[in-house]
Amino acid sequence: MSSIRFDAVSKSFGAGQVKALDDVDLAIADKEFLAIVGPSGCGKTTCLRLAAGFEFPTSGRVLVGNAEVREPGPDRAVVFQQFALFPWKTVVENIELGLRNRNMPREERRIRVMEAVELIGLNGYEGAYPHQLSGGMQQRVAIARAYVLDPQVLLMDEPFGALDAQTRVVMQEELVRLARRNPRTVLFITHGVEEAVYLADRVAIMTRRPGRLKEIVDVKSIREAEGWERYSRIEDVMDLESFVHLRTHIWRSLREEKTGAAH
Amino acid sequence: MPLGRRSAIGVTTLGLLVLAWFMATGANGLISPGRFPTPADTWTAGLQAMVRGYGDATLVVHVLQSLKLVALGFVVSVAVGVPLGLLMGTSATAEAVLNPVFMLLRPIPPLAWIPLAILWFGLGDTAKIMVIFFAAFVPSVINTQAGVRTIERPLIEAARMLGTPHGRFIREVVVPGAAPMIFTGLRLSLQASWTTLVAAELVGALAGLGHLLNLAQQDLYPGMILVGMICVAIFGALTTALLGLVERRTLTWVRIKGDTA
Repeated sequence: MSSIRFDAVSKSFGAGQVKALDDVDLAIADKEFLAIVGPSGCGKTTCLRLAAGFEFPTSGRVLVGNAEVREPGPDRAVVFQQFALFPWKTVVENIELGLRNRNMPREERRIRVMEAVELIGLNGYEGAYPHQLSGGMQQRVAIARAYVLDPQVLLMDEPFGALDAQTRVVMQEELVRLARRNPRTVLFITHGVEEAVYLADRVAIMTRRPGRLKEIVDVKSIREAEGWERYSRIEDVMDLESFVHLRTHIWRSLREEKTGAAH
Repeated sequence: MPLGRRSAIGVTTLGLLVLAWFMATGANGLISPGRFPTPADTWTAGLQAMVRGYGDATLVVHVLQSLKLVALGFVVSVAVGVPLGLLMGTSATAEAVLNPVFMLLRPIPPLAWIPLAILWFGLGDTAKIMVIFFAAFVPSVINTQAGVRTIERPLIEAARMLGTPHGRFIREVVVPGAAPMIFTGLRLSLQASWTTLVAAELVGALAGLGHLLNLAQQDLYPGMILVGMICVAIFGALTTALLGLVERRTLTWVRIKGDTA
């Protein structure tokens, strides 16, 4: 059981001059995939950093599995936008660090790491250093490093933001496959509306700074009712009328945000 | 530039320098041999130092003595400096405590420690190591600390997220992350070790290249002075090259990063 709950969370930086989050209430159910979209600088990454335990709320509470978040830990694996792989460690060494920290026996560790390498399709690159890999491959390693921990909660901060369009699509499809095989509670930060609708069960829309929750859109019920799961390719899903409808709805909501703040 | 061409140019430059030396100190040369020795004088002095010895010891003994002290002084400086830099880089408290001491010690020229070192330890090895230490541990501390600061925050956060215990965090994240800068510090420490050692031996020593230089000056023996200087240059360059080799062996991943980035 590992839900994530934001309880009246506000967060200010630098002696209170910059208010990043204002009174955010948000509950993500166990094994739910929730995406947060919003204009840049709206505090969506701050939400993730609070859940990860890298930052702490100025007021309110962040709970993961009913316990208040006090520090980072492998129960809440983070996938960073810029991958954050250790450049001096090989693919295998990067993936296995979390397992070594858990004192997992060498043999068991080897099996788990090899499974992860297999899963992300990086066989043959086990001994490569991150800088010998493309951006897409690096992000796959970062995802494997998170998955191998078998975390209850997965926190992803614009994980595909630094990838080119084609690689991004492949990674999105892979993530959907992974999420179906092995569902986790996921908090996914993105500014891509289509990505959010394609991946998430619910999409939370945030306002400009100070970030507040504006609207939460239920995607899952529509996805199930319209049978999106029948299609394995992202472009087929994105062609469906129900997808276009949801995407446009969220777009409008975000656009109001953008123009609304302009005057 | 290809390596072959680079070294060809280097050898040519050195050759021209030696040629210029021959001409400038030759029969109708510009410089009198009393001020600057001819290549032949230097060769004779070198042979004398090697075979018969100069200043109670052969050249080999002088070189080995200096090399030994540079190595010891360097190792002690690095063994203290790098951990201190790591501590100051990772702990704000340690930095707050140690920084004032540092600010006070840094303006003291390392050679100003020589009188105290001789007073405490006499003319032997320990005094030299102490003086080298005060000169050479500073660049190790400063560069290590700066290197720790260059580690990108997401890497530190990733390590914490993965539940990395403190000791492993230092060994596998902080040290490799700071390693390129640590090696910069080591290079500067090595340089400082040579500089201060020769100076310390000039002031008071029983053997070593600085001692040889000091005697040659008192004997008004330009050829021997140059022999001492050439030895310092050669062995200084050799030890620096050795350190560079260790660096390239240790930081394979940096070279890979540089090749592809």
